Amino acid sequence: MEGLNYALAALTSLPVLVAAASGVMWGILGGALPGISPSIAMALLLPFTFDMTPLSAIVLLGATYIGAEYGGSIPAILIRTPGTNSAAATVIDGYTMHQQGRGGEALGLSLVGGTIGGLVGLIFLVLLTKPLASLALMFTPPAYFALGILGLSIIASLSEGSLVKGLIAGVAGLMLATIGTDPLSGVARFTFGNPDLLEGIHFIFIMLGVFAVAELMSKVTEREDPAMDGSVGKGTRLKLPSLKKLWQLRRAQAIGTGLGIAEGPIPGAGGTVAAFLAYNEAKRWSKTPEQFGKGSEEGVIAPEAANNAVTASALVPTLSFGIPGSNSMAILLGGFLIHGIQPGPLLLTSNPNLVYGLYGGLFLANILMFAFGVVILAPCIWLVNRPKPYLTAAIFVLVLSGIYSINHSLFDLGIVLATGVLGYVMRVLKFPALPLILGVVLGYMIESNYRRSLLITNGDHIVFFQNPVSLGLLICSGLIIVLALVTEVRRYRKVAAA
Amino acid sequence: MRATLVSSGVLFALAVAYWFGADALPKSRLGGQVGADGLPKLLAISLAVLSVALAAQTLAYMRKEKRAGVAAKPVEADGGDNPHAWRSHARAFGLIAIGAAYLALLPHLGYAVSAALLLLVVSTYCGLKPSWRTLVFAVVGGAAFYIIFVRVLQVPLPAGLWPTLLG
Repeated sequence: MEGLNYALAALTSLPVLVAAASGVMWGILGGALPGISPSIAMALLLPFTFDMTPLSAIVLLGATYIGAEYGGSIPAILIRTPGTNSAAATVIDGYTMHQQGRGGEALGLSLVGGTIGGLVGLIFLVLLTKPLASLALMFTPPAYFALGILGLSIIASLSEGSLVKGLIAGVAGLMLATIGTDPLSGVARFTFGNPDLLEGIHFIFIMLGVFAVAELMSKVTEREDPAMDGSVGKGTRLKLPSLKKLWQLRRAQAIGTGLGIAEGPIPGAGGTVAAFLAYNEAKRWSKTPEQFGKGSEEGVIAPEAANNAVTASALVPTLSFGIPGSNSMAILLGGFLIHGIQPGPLLLTSNPNLVYGLYGGLFLANILMFAFGVVILAPCIWLVNRPKPYLTAAIFVLVLSGIYSINHSLFDLGIVLATGVLGYVMRVLKFPALPLILGVVLGYMIESNYRRSLLITNGDHIVFFQNPVSLGLLICSGLIIVLALVTEVRRYRKVAAA
Repeated sequence: MRATLVSSGVLFALAVAYWFGADALPKSRLGGQVGADGLPKLLAISLAVLSVALAAQTLAYMRKEKRAGVAAKPVEADGGDNPHAWRSHARAFGLIAIGAAYLALLPHLGYAVSAALLLLVVSTYCGLKPSWRTLVFAVVGGAAFYIIFVRVLQVPLPAGLWPTLLG
């Protein structure tokens, strides 16, 4: 009941309404631009959340994520280029529908399917909140330390390419987190006498550098697509499906929503995996599987329902354990940390107004996504048709201006450019970025709980093995690393045999 | 693959430097049993071990490829030695150089002019031919960013030399 009151208070709060509306609009526009992933769209807003209330800030970021997941389907359907990775599955039948003159229908299915998926996913999130909050009392400093190690292990082991590279990225992130003043002793670490580094490197600079600046660096190496003559999608009008049509597509909708809810909490899985899984399963269970790939409506609604259902269920590990499972959730975690709020087992008990207010805000965001989705198509089409160099330039200025607005320091801009170089080099050498970000974000939690645990036991490391939760989590971390190692060895042997 | 091998060497060197940096940290009684250097030293060891593992893994893959007689790929997954790749990387770093120039000019030219210049240079750098359209984009864009950040959001961005010059 108390939770409902908090949610209703959020729904009737003007700052939250404005945050939800602007977040959804920005998300749809950003998602519609190929190359602007939901995480980049969210990261670009981070500097502006400093002066907002915690609830408005988190709702803004969450609404951006929701909007971007729909926005990504617009270019996917109109120009066969997914605006976001999770819209890649929508291309298959969405673009075909557009070629058949049914682009408006495809966009309508994407919008409605996504809205329903998002709302159902949110219900699931709300129902899980209380059971997960009951875990809070079991967490002591050793358990928090082990939780941080588990989070890093999972993300590193799920990294594309190489487990070793994932672990290196995680360690590098932890190393970056040690720069600054040691919170326990006050000793300056790795500041090289530079007073600007005494407070450490803010994770926002690293996120924006590694995600946004590195992306822009990749973009300048690409050539503009000559097929883009500026007339793509013009004249397309969104056509909402009738209730009868929605009933006919209920199976695909249910499959997409269910898989999105199931995939969301799994770290590293995210909207892309959920969307493709949903597409495959919708095809498997369809009465007309032969239509998939030829403009099947089920082939559009299933992946779109999945990638929007993920936006809610992906919050489960982030809010409950403080372990983000994707780049977007890492950004959202950053939004919490900016306001001094640590997501984790104690979040619901210490900030119930924030948690339930967030749910209210996300409910609002899903409804607004539907409303804006109907009217925002024309501006999106206009934006998609702009020459890419204009967008690259505008985003670069936006990033640098946004960073300056935090501390009003030119040194920070230098940090962002440097981390942009780091992010680009990591991309080229196929080092995953998420473990690095996670290392930076979780670094303080891991170190402070590690040292706090040792303070309690006078330096005896046995505390991590005596605590059952800590022991369990550390064993899980070990198993995950070992399993990932085994997989890697098998892959190596397969390559050798080929 | 060669690039990954080189990077593993760089990472090992970084781990060694990081260890020495951690060792040089002053000891404080407030630091507790582990101290300010505790985690950094652990991370240095971890990075050293992982960089050796990466080198070993990369060498193993290279040896397998050599044995299999696989021709060198034109553009390797990790950014290889292809001249085309190096040209692309140089272009990418060019954007950073432009950003650095913006940083240097910002205090002197002020935000509005610097932002407009940055828009013009980046859009041209990305392939647009200089034209009146690009110029209009830069001027309007610079003005828009100035209004949003300085007037609306009240961010105290540098005004440059203009207030002095214009009295």
